[in-house]
Amino acid sequence: MNTEQKVDLTVNFSGLKLKNPVFTASGTCGYADELADFMDISLLGAFLTKSITLQKRDGNTVPRIVETDSGMLNAIGLANIGVDRFIAEKVPLIKQYNTPFFVNIAGQTIEEYTSVAQKLAGCSEIAGLELNISCPNVKKGGITFGTDPKLVSEITSAVKKNAGKKILMVKLTPNVTDISTIAAAAIEAGADALSMINTFTAMVIDIETRQPVLANRTGGLSGPAIKPIAVYLTNKVYNEVAKSANVPILAGGGIRNASDAIEFIIAGAAAVSVGTASFVYPDIAIKIIDGIKKYCQRHKIAKISELTGSLK
Amino acid sequence: MAENQPQKAIFTALVSGNKAVGKFFFNLQLQLNSGAAKVFRNALPGQFAQLDLSRLALPAEEQIPDELAERCQRQILLRRPFSFTNIECSDSKVILEILYCVLGPATLRMKTLKPADEINLIGPLGNGFKILNDKKLAILVAGGMGAPPLQHLAKELKKQCPQTETVVFAGAKSISELPYLDIKLKKISKESSYSLGEFAKHNAKALISTDDGSAGFKGFVTEMLKDWLKDKKTDSSKTIIYACGPEAMMSHVAAISSQFNIPCQVSLERMMACGTGLCQSCAVRCMNKQTKETGYKLCCKDGPVFWADEVVW
Repeated sequence: MNTEQKVDLTVNFSGLKLKNPVFTASGTCGYADELADFMDISLLGAFLTKSITLQKRDGNTVPRIVETDSGMLNAIGLANIGVDRFIAEKVPLIKQYNTPFFVNIAGQTIEEYTSVAQKLAGCSEIAGLELNISCPNVKKGGITFGTDPKLVSEITSAVKKNAGKKILMVKLTPNVTDISTIAAAAIEAGADALSMINTFTAMVIDIETRQPVLANRTGGLSGPAIKPIAVYLTNKVYNEVAKSANVPILAGGGIRNASDAIEFIIAGAAAVSVGTASFVYPDIAIKIIDGIKKYCQRHKIAKISELTGSLK
Repeated sequence: MAENQPQKAIFTALVSGNKAVGKFFFNLQLQLNSGAAKVFRNALPGQFAQLDLSRLALPAEEQIPDELAERCQRQILLRRPFSFTNIECSDSKVILEILYCVLGPATLRMKTLKPADEINLIGPLGNGFKILNDKKLAILVAGGMGAPPLQHLAKELKKQCPQTETVVFAGAKSISELPYLDIKLKKISKESSYSLGEFAKHNAKALISTDDGSAGFKGFVTEMLKDWLKDKKTDSSKTIIYACGPEAMMSHVAAISSQFNIPCQVSLERMMACGTGLCQSCAVRCMNKQTKETGYKLCCKDGPVFWADEVVW
């Protein structure tokens, strides 16, 4: 019988060495302490918190979620405790975990984003920031930052200037005509990594009342239903932008097992994010890490990084 | 609300029974061994578990009710939350009893569970009802499918506060929608009586109301409660109300409890994706009693049991 083949699961993520390529996805894992009841956070490649804004946000009225075919819509409204309380109460908890932490940041004006980035830049416990650009820009008539290459460029460079040495990852929205144009704008403006994809804007209607089910009317679709589109978009951005720029992609969308994760890596992802599946199996990220290792053993892959973008 | 909660975790349970209760309801029995039994042994009335029903098959086509034929085509993804009617403990194992009614694609699948099947669950989750031992009278208001955690509560009240008298106000749209197997029609009267077997076994008397008058008082359970409180003039400081049912009913119970100055706990329900505080979807607007500021709490983590006067109705 063969002895167990060693697999190097480490990933160089924009200069940061990760012990494996699995992240939690923002908005599905709380601030970290919620998931610690179910798994050893230190086993993760990295932890990505929910969105943090300058002021605390209560979030939307309910219903905030609705289940759909193999997926769900959410319109939580970025409920969070605000950056100051986050730094005072949650950042100190990070030290106990032996894994890099990324903080997702959101806002409604560029100044709001830069203020949050500035405050977090001073926290040595944080490895990087993920820029949520799927928010409406209130100063520009509510247009979503992430749908306009010019705005993406402005916000990325403004945050980069205020983020100190933190790795800056820009999270792309799929609700655009050409995602590669947006990705290119983010990289040109200084993004160290790309994160994709955010949820798809969607709606569920109650046909008895003829009203949308969500109080917010629309929500973001996530879960296995979006996976094939997310894999396609990852491959597109990898081929058209990220590969030549040598910028890593953190990709996800409907990942619920190791096979799903491997698909994204083959498509071009350096690392993967596990989101909606954590709602159902809060320890699933750890099982996915194990499954990735087994896949590599089965295919005699010595380093997981060899698999990135290996689509034939 | 409660202290010293048992540690929540992911467990596999063994189905030990799944029987029809009347026309619309089913009683699912889940057996837990070793680690899971240890944890659930101390679960409180009002706490809940998240069941993964997504891997279960649908019943045969002819057993699918017409009104669910289209909706049940949907692939389900998320777990479903259930509280318990009873937790039966022996030395090595624990049996959880869950009362449910078939309303959609998940509960339709649940109906197919049979003894020896396995099911994955996360729990115990949330905070249960707080039992206060200085009360002489506990009033349980059960609206329709709100009955299960109150049955569990009646059992615990009898065990922990045998001196406390428990009176149940059980309401539903009609007699067939009262989620009990053991309704003693002859005992139903204007005075509380041992008319509901599920509560009588815990020494709790009951008053029944139906919207259509098919059993007991004709009208809402809240009207019956209000009339009864006016009539009985109970000592409010020695009385407590526990309610579970439709939100509109609980909002009325909250108003009545405030009018009669009786402390009241309510068990709320929200759409929730995770049940563990990750998704933030099950928001309940609450008011801080000191600062009067309002903000959202989470039904899954801060509730599902809340003090009625902290909820913004």
